[in-house]
Amino acid sequence: MHYQWDFSVISDNAGLLLWGLGNTLLLTLIAILIGTPLGLAVALMRLSSRRSLAWPATVYVEVFRAAPALVQLYWLYFALPRLTGLRLGGFEAAAIALSILSSAFLSEVFRGGIASIGKGQWDAARGIGLGYPRMLRTIILPQAIRRMLPVFLERYIELLKTSTIAATVSFGDLLFVAQDISYRTYRTLEIFSAIAVMFFLVILLCSQLTRLVEHRLARSGEFTAR
Amino acid sequence: MDAFLSPSLAISLPALARGLVHTLELAAVCLVASLLLGLVFGVMRYAGGRVLHALAIAYVEVFRNTPVLVQILWFFFALPILVQFEISAFTAAALGLSLNSGAFSAEIFRAGMQAVPTGQWEAANALGMSRARVMFRIVLPQAVRHMIPAFTNRWIELFKLTSLASVIAYPELVYSAQQISNSYFNPVEVFTLVAVIFIALVIPASYLLRRLEARLRRSAP
Repeated sequence: MHYQWDFSVISDNAGLLLWGLGNTLLLTLIAILIGTPLGLAVALMRLSSRRSLAWPATVYVEVFRAAPALVQLYWLYFALPRLTGLRLGGFEAAAIALSILSSAFLSEVFRGGIASIGKGQWDAARGIGLGYPRMLRTIILPQAIRRMLPVFLERYIELLKTSTIAATVSFGDLLFVAQDISYRTYRTLEIFSAIAVMFFLVILLCSQLTRLVEHRLARSGEFTAR
Repeated sequence: MDAFLSPSLAISLPALARGLVHTLELAAVCLVASLLLGLVFGVMRYAGGRVLHALAIAYVEVFRNTPVLVQILWFFFALPILVQFEISAFTAAALGLSLNSGAFSAEIFRAGMQAVPTGQWEAANALGMSRARVMFRIVLPQAVRHMIPAFTNRWIELFKLTSLASVIAYPELVYSAQQISNSYFNPVEVFTLVAVIFIALVIPASYLLRRLEARLRRSAP
C-alpha cells in the first residue's frame, strides 16, 4: 500500500485556489480597515478621564479579547439571527467578528503607543493652543504609530491566520475552497498540503516585510530592533 | 430574558459541562506538550550545532507561518492518508495545537535564554561545568523569569484556540454547543452561555497570571 501522489489536482484547480486566496486577503483587509480605526476610537475612550467613556471601552476590550474568535463568529452567525431576525451571510458575519476582534486587540496597542508619548509633548501641544483632535492628529498619533508599527503588522498577520475560521461559516476563502475541492476529488492530502504551502508563502512574505519595516525604524532611531 | 429561562437550556447543561471538561483536557495536554516542544526546539536553536539549529528554525517557521486551523485539518484529514491509520479528532487537534504553540514557545525560550548575559556561561565554564549542566543549572533558571509574561499570554491564547477542535467534531465546548443548538433550536442561549464560560475563565485566569508575574518581578534579584 503505497500512496500515489497526484498534484495535477492543484494545477486543475489553480484558478479556484487563487480565487480563495483572494477572498482570504479581502476579508483580512476589510477587518484591518474597520478594526484599526475602531481600535483607535476604543483606545481614546479608554484613555479618557471621563468614566462614562472609559468604562464601556474597558468592558469591550476585556470581553472581546477573552472570548475565542470562533465563538464570536458563531454567535453572530447562529445566535444573532434568532435574536434580531437579521440574517448575516458567512462573509458579513466573519467580517464583523474579525473587525471587532482586531479592534479589541489593536486598541491595546494604540493605548500603549499613545501612553508612551512623553507628557512634554502633550504640554507643548496644549501650550501652542492646539485642540484635542488636532493635537492627536498632528503630534501624538504620528509618533505613537511609528513606535507601534511593528506590533500592528504582527497583529495583522495574526488576523490573516485567524481569518481561516470564516471557512466554518461557508465563506469561500482559501480553506473553504480547499475543503470543497477535496470533497470532489478525494485528493485531500495534496490539496491541504498545497494550501498550507500557499499560506506559508504569503505569511512568510508578510513577516519579512514586517522585519524590513522594523529595521528601517531602527535605523531612523524610532525603534530598537531585537 | 424569557429565552434564558427556557427548559431547553437546563437540559443542555450536563452536555455543556462535559464539553467544558473536554476543553480543559485538550488545553492541559497541549500546554504540557507545547512547553516540552518549545524547550527542546528552543534549546536546539540556542545552543545546537548547525543541523539542529537549522531543524529548529524550519520547525518554528513552518508552524508559525501557517494558520493553526489548517494544521488541525491537515492532521485530521491529510495525515491519515500518508500514514495509513486513523487519527482521532482529539489526537489531530492536540497535534495541531501543540505543534503550533510549541513553535511560539520555542521562540519564547530562545529569547529568554538570549537575555541571560554571556558572562554567566563564562563563569560556569570556568567552574568546569558541562554544557548541559550550564544549560539546566545556570541559564534556564534565570531565563524563566524573563519568559513568564510571554508564556502566560501564550497559554491564554492556547486555551481559546482549543475551540478550533470543534471543526473536526471533537466534543469540546463549542462543538457541544452546536449539537445542543441543533437539537433544541436555542442558539442564542447556548452560544451566549459558551461565550460567558470562556470569558469567566479567561479574565480571572489572566488576572491571576498577571499577579504572579508581578510577584516574580518583585522577587527578582
